[in-house]
Amino acid sequence: MGIDLAALASQLVVGLSRAMILFIVCAGLSFVLGVLRVPNVAHGSLYMIGAFVAFSFFSLFGGSSAGFWLALILAPLVVALVSLIAERALFCHLYEREHLMLLLFTFALMLIFGDLVKIIWGAEYRSISAPPFLRGSVSIFGASIPRYNLFLLIIGPLVAIGLWLFTNKTKMGKISRAAAVDREMVGLIGINVSWVFAGAFVIGCCLAGLGGALVAPTVSITLGMDHTIIIEAFLIVTIGGLGNMWGALVGSLIFGVTHSFGVLIWPQFAIVFPYAAVVIVLLLRPRGMLKSVW
Amino acid sequence: MKRTSIIIGIVVIVVIVAALVYYFAIPPKLERNIKVGVIDCYTGPAAMFSNEALEGFKLALDEINKEGVLGAQIEFSKRDTKFKVDIGLSMAKELVMRENVDLLVGGISSAVALAASDYCKGEKVPLIIWIAKSERITGEKGHRYVFSSGENTAMFGKAGGVALARKPFTKYWIAGDDYEYGHAIANAAWRNLKERKPEVEKIGESWWKVGEPDLVPYITAIEAAEPDAVIFCTGGGSMVNVMKTTKATGLSDKVQVWIPTATDTAILRALGAGAPEGMMGTSDYLFFHPDTPANREFVKAFQEAYGRHPSFCGFHGYITAHFIAEAFRKAGSLDKEKFIDALEGLKIESPVGEIEMRACDHQVVLPIFMGVTKQVPEYDFFISTDIETLTGDEVMPTCEEIMKARGK
Repeated sequence: MGIDLAALASQLVVGLSRAMILFIVCAGLSFVLGVLRVPNVAHGSLYMIGAFVAFSFFSLFGGSSAGFWLALILAPLVVALVSLIAERALFCHLYEREHLMLLLFTFALMLIFGDLVKIIWGAEYRSISAPPFLRGSVSIFGASIPRYNLFLLIIGPLVAIGLWLFTNKTKMGKISRAAAVDREMVGLIGINVSWVFAGAFVIGCCLAGLGGALVAPTVSITLGMDHTIIIEAFLIVTIGGLGNMWGALVGSLIFGVTHSFGVLIWPQFAIVFPYAAVVIVLLLRPRGMLKSVW
Repeated sequence: MKRTSIIIGIVVIVVIVAALVYYFAIPPKLERNIKVGVIDCYTGPAAMFSNEALEGFKLALDEINKEGVLGAQIEFSKRDTKFKVDIGLSMAKELVMRENVDLLVGGISSAVALAASDYCKGEKVPLIIWIAKSERITGEKGHRYVFSSGENTAMFGKAGGVALARKPFTKYWIAGDDYEYGHAIANAAWRNLKERKPEVEKIGESWWKVGEPDLVPYITAIEAAEPDAVIFCTGGGSMVNVMKTTKATGLSDKVQVWIPTATDTAILRALGAGAPEGMMGTSDYLFFHPDTPANREFVKAFQEAYGRHPSFCGFHGYITAHFIAEAFRKAGSLDKEKFIDALEGLKIESPVGEIEMRACDHQVVLPIFMGVTKQVPEYDFFISTDIETLTGDEVMPTCEEIMKARGK
């Protein structure tokens, strides 16, 4: 096939960088799945809102570098606020319902968020630019890799470390983990489970917003972003192990890397590769790569 | 007695002449308003284009309804197809059967357009497609009841083939969205390029799913194959993604890239100053070219109404409304068959000059503008420069070719 090592190495780098975005979004989805047991279909909408809010902040600051960094910080916070309102007003009344009801409810929420985005931002395509030092490409193994993808390769592990510190070193994180395993027990020892759930939901959604803001400079910010990501995100958390954040990382790596290698090996049918990987993983390990909390 | 007979004779002649003058000189009145059903996608990424087509359509209707069409107004009802064939078909049926529309217009999705076309053929209801670009709509799948008021993949593909054949490149890579439009453009462009320059070689192809957010792996793989030029066959939201990625990876600086709609205003406006320079593109409408009073007037009216420059979709919606009004004026009746007869071969004045609805295949004859992207001081986004115009006749398949494709 004439595929050289340099091409393989460069595809590995770009595959890993895509995996980082997927990981950030999927870690949030998995966290909510694990702690709240809510299959949040509207998670993709929060990712889309993150991208649109990032566009608004970026435009507000005249498209400057400062605007980009502020957008990266403020967009996830706005998404966190939106999700807090949604959780307190709607979700908190529905935790006891069966999964099918929750699935339908979050699906409805996805449609509502989609229409809200259309009303607020319109149907036009939006775009933001990364700061000058993150634009352009660098040559790695003879291939041009966008600098922004390398930036994502730094951000992804930082988010992973942050999540590890949160779940293992903070009281809130430890309670969340405990609630994921046995929520009744956590309630019985006097912890206000309702607010633990609210906190976990907001953190999960905040990650979706961060993913949206991070992806914004590389794509067209448009309606429909939510649909694309949510299908991939559910596949990833399924192959990783439902509710397991590190499973989300493993799933994202499998998905991102098989996709980029697929492009190199058989470009006409590259779409198939990550999905074939999902099928293989589920055949070999029906409950996912890592331990599922469900 | 003789005198009385002469007077009566004169009166009779005057009455007959007056009746004839009235019959032929005073246009007939339509018994009710003209009802147009709009079926298009108003959800998801395609909504940007469909909304603008509707804006252009409404702008033209405002102009037309001031004067009226044979004493009537043109009204419309719109339905959202959500880019789905089944929903599009239900909406078309609902508009025809319950709203009793005189004709249907719209359609950004080629798949929806082809399905609606099939339905309209059975129901004998005229359908004018204004954005969907599959050449099959007025080509092999064309019939008496379907029209297209926009350019199609055959026209764009031929324009691309003509433009690229003049360039010194021989090694090509073809990539794009894995759907009807992407493959149709690729086939048409490659067929035309190969006919004009047989030595060209296709060294590879890659196809991604529509809306694929991450194109970097595709672009780095293309770069590794070292082609001389790349033909990207993308549409809609993928346009922004592909243009951003070719710039971010530096591909657009290293090899020549042609994308059919790279010079479209809606795409370049979304990219702002972040668009790649020197990318070859093709469009059937540019708001700044030709710089004629008719185009300036249309752009001014569109800007006043919607606060931005029109792109090709606004133009398509605008000319569609004018085609409808003129055809009903010519037909003098709400009869669908008479409307079709009137629309066949109809010529109207438009912002790009006189355009014609070709009688043999119901495909509008439009000029195609080829150019390269460049930043100019007048605008805060890139525009198409070094524009070369190909007339509609130069890029359209001949009537004989169309009939052959239809198996006639």
